[in-house]
Amino acid sequence: MAQPKEIKNQYKKRTLFQETWRRLVKNRGAMLGLGFLVLLILAAALSPVLFNYEVDVIGQNMQERLMAPCGAHWFGTDEYGRDLFARVIYGARYSLIIGVGSVLLGLVVGTILGSQAGFHGGVTDSIIMRGIDIFYSIPNIMTAVVIVSLLGPSTVNLMIALAFSCASSFARIVRASVMTIRDQEYVESSYAMGLPTWKIIVKHILPNCLSPIIVQITLLIGTTIISASSLSFLGIGVPAPAPEWGALLSAGRGHIRDASYMCIIPGLAIMFTVLALNLLGDGLRDALDPKLKK
Amino acid sequence: MAEEFVLDIKNLAVHYETEDADVHAVNGIDIVIGKKRTLGLVGETGAGKTTTALSILNLVPNPPGVIKSGEIYLEGKDVLKMTPTELEKMRGNDVAMIFQDPMTALNPVMTVGDQIGESIAIHQNLSKKDAFEKAKEMLKMVGIAESRAYDYPHQFSGGMKQRVVIAIALACSPQLLIADEPTTALDVTIQAQVLELMKQLIREKEMSMLLITHDLGVVAEVCEDVAVMYAGRIVEKGTADDVFNHMRHPYTEGLFDSLPNLKERGEELVPIKGLMPDPSDLPPGCAFAPRCPYATEACSQAVPELTAVDGSKTHFVACSAYRNPEFSLRGNKDGR
Amino acid sequence: MLKYILKRLVMLIPVIMVTSFLIFWAMSLTGGDPALMLAGDNAKPEQIEQIREELGLNDPFIVRYGNYMKGMITGDMGQSYVTKRDVFKTFMERLPNTLMLGGAAVLIAVVVSLPLGIYTAIHQNTWKDTAGMIFALFGTSMPNFWLGLMLIILFSLKLGLFPTGGKGGLDSLVLPAVTVGFGLAALITRTTRSSMLDVLRQDYMTTARAKGCSEKQVITVHGLKNALIPIITAIGLQMSLVITGSVLAETVFSWPGIGRLVYDSISKRDIPMVTGAIIMCSILMCIINLVVDLIYAFFDPRIKAQYSKKG
Repeated sequence: MAQPKEIKNQYKKRTLFQETWRRLVKNRGAMLGLGFLVLLILAAALSPVLFNYEVDVIGQNMQERLMAPCGAHWFGTDEYGRDLFARVIYGARYSLIIGVGSVLLGLVVGTILGSQAGFHGGVTDSIIMRGIDIFYSIPNIMTAVVIVSLLGPSTVNLMIALAFSCASSFARIVRASVMTIRDQEYVESSYAMGLPTWKIIVKHILPNCLSPIIVQITLLIGTTIISASSLSFLGIGVPAPAPEWGALLSAGRGHIRDASYMCIIPGLAIMFTVLALNLLGDGLRDALDPKLKK
Repeated sequence: MAEEFVLDIKNLAVHYETEDADVHAVNGIDIVIGKKRTLGLVGETGAGKTTTALSILNLVPNPPGVIKSGEIYLEGKDVLKMTPTELEKMRGNDVAMIFQDPMTALNPVMTVGDQIGESIAIHQNLSKKDAFEKAKEMLKMVGIAESRAYDYPHQFSGGMKQRVVIAIALACSPQLLIADEPTTALDVTIQAQVLELMKQLIREKEMSMLLITHDLGVVAEVCEDVAVMYAGRIVEKGTADDVFNHMRHPYTEGLFDSLPNLKERGEELVPIKGLMPDPSDLPPGCAFAPRCPYATEACSQAVPELTAVDGSKTHFVACSAYRNPEFSLRGNKDGR
Repeated sequence: MLKYILKRLVMLIPVIMVTSFLIFWAMSLTGGDPALMLAGDNAKPEQIEQIREELGLNDPFIVRYGNYMKGMITGDMGQSYVTKRDVFKTFMERLPNTLMLGGAAVLIAVVVSLPLGIYTAIHQNTWKDTAGMIFALFGTSMPNFWLGLMLIILFSLKLGLFPTGGKGGLDSLVLPAVTVGFGLAALITRTTRSSMLDVLRQDYMTTARAKGCSEKQVITVHGLKNALIPIITAIGLQMSLVITGSVLAETVFSWPGIGRLVYDSISKRDIPMVTGAIIMCSILMCIINLVVDLIYAFFDPRIKAQYSKKG
């Protein structure tokens, strides 16, 4: 009777992390995305070492202005003679910091709001959800405009402004998760044992909505980066002379006829970054719940 | 020869080829159903019954389902060789199917009348309006008020939904009705009603039926012939009398033994030991051998063929044990 | 059903009040002295004070807000600091342009993405599916103002097919509409695909086939009608994306819509204009959401029943 051994093999345990990683690795797109992001993060982190901010990034050199991409300047130069390559690489810092910062801020706020709404239900739920609906109905650029006007243009304020729509997203996910689990018996028994509410949320509820949250984080970083660059493009994001990608495009717009590379390259940077995040996010979604794929 | 039977399945084998494994759902079965006869196809979940039913309509999802071999003659024509147009003409018109779960079998955004009428409009070439009128008649036939033709599925209870499904199936008076566990999802009291309705309509319309079920009680109620299926193969077949009163296969014996005895309530339940084998990893030889109380070495060496029981024309069993003419089941030793 | 619509319209009022309050409050804190701006550089202090009195800027916040609300009801949201023209009137003048742009964008997006989404769902896991998904992926990854710039470089400057901006004939609508619609198309393609995949698995599809419906009938009549429901929801949720996209596209293409109005007013610190425009935008969003909900009810009889009963 080979049965007990066979059964044991069938149920050989792997942790969730290992299982997910194993599946993720098989996804070439996700791995490409991950690779690109790692490179980008390295480049962003190392840029203060590679470039001297005062000289390379914002230092002006009028003799070399508006040069198309060439050997000395891989991405060309802008209207002040600044090397576009240095500016783009340095600009990655802003996108990444703003992207990750806004999303994490939104995650914390959203989780608190969503779990309160889901857990307590009733009036709390209605108020919070209507509030979120209102924020959702105003286009996030508008909210960002209002908040940045209020607080003044700076990187941190931009992050706060963008965190609002992230928070709405997370609040919804957490609330839905909380509501499905709230009534289940193991939560009731924890409650009965006297466990404080916040502990119940952290220990039981959050682990259950971990998958959609992880996926949402990756995807939201992408949309946030786009929003940040959009706002900078409009002039109400990161203040000059910071080489944020959107700001670079705004500057490039003035030279669309004679130096079109200024309009093309920073946009490519944004696109590939968000593309990498989307590939990774999709890959994570498939890896975390393979049933969804089919 | 083939014309005698409404349905003649020869050596059907269907596999599901997925990334993870090759599932051998149906492994060489032969089934015949004569005119106006009802055959009960019995077996546990995973035995391959639904796959068989879908094959008759050539609706096995492909991918991942692949028909490895076999011919299915529906009134003399091989379904597996038909063109898409021929198949569309045949489905709903010559053969119709009732699915297990009435909750999901109906389109939630179409009225019930339209759904019944659709079948009529296609096969009888009527306008949508005329078909709708006829649909109302069908509703009446299954015991639902005609005015409800304008309602949507979510407005009906489970039992009534199943009646609608029956109405759709019988709308064009097909020769053969395939019912896949038609009452499993319903309450016990509703089950009886729906079965009665089915029996009555089949008699009235002089149809044949293939009733798929795991419930022996339902088979006893409704079916004249029985085929017992295990791991994608037919292990015993015959008339209801043959199989119920003179059973020969150890699996059949196990099925009947595991029925709770309502009269002697103190008795222990007698389940069949073990689990049905994984269809992607079938044991060699007879698939039931690992669980069979009578199994011998020889059983695992070759898949037993269906052979006639005591020279019967109707009763067949696939069990190597009967090579020994002295062999009989425990239950049969009492002279059943 | 009508009752439901009225109820929803009435429920808009508290939403508008809260939104306008928040925005009014936020904008009033943004500093900059409007009286100074209006008076000009050479004004004497008394003149500035006089303007302040006239505008009611010395009144407490609540009073100012109250006046503003009163004004809103009659359609008077003050005057632009810059153009001195009526805020409400200016907004309404520009609104049709944005609606035109948004409408064209949604039209382009839907016409492209619905068939594409259905096609990729039916041919799941083939190269056609992969190609469609790659398109969708790129579409959701690119900033739409950048797409606008790219389109200008290629189609206006290099190929000379379309004007680089401004509102002119129909050809001036094309590039801006594609800019806004592209991202939307990518999103809708993904949603359509996953909705169709979901629907294709459903039992009622097999029932339809078992009845003898042709594959085409099965997909369009049975499949699509059911698939549309979540797709419409998704489109509805993205309407704010269309407005956002309009702000950017109008800036890139100098299109005289409300998006550009907001942008210009911000740059010029024209507070009444910004306030009024944003409030009007949120009202617009609420109305659009209501319309989407109603369309949704049209397609799903279960929801229709709910709305009629609640009524």
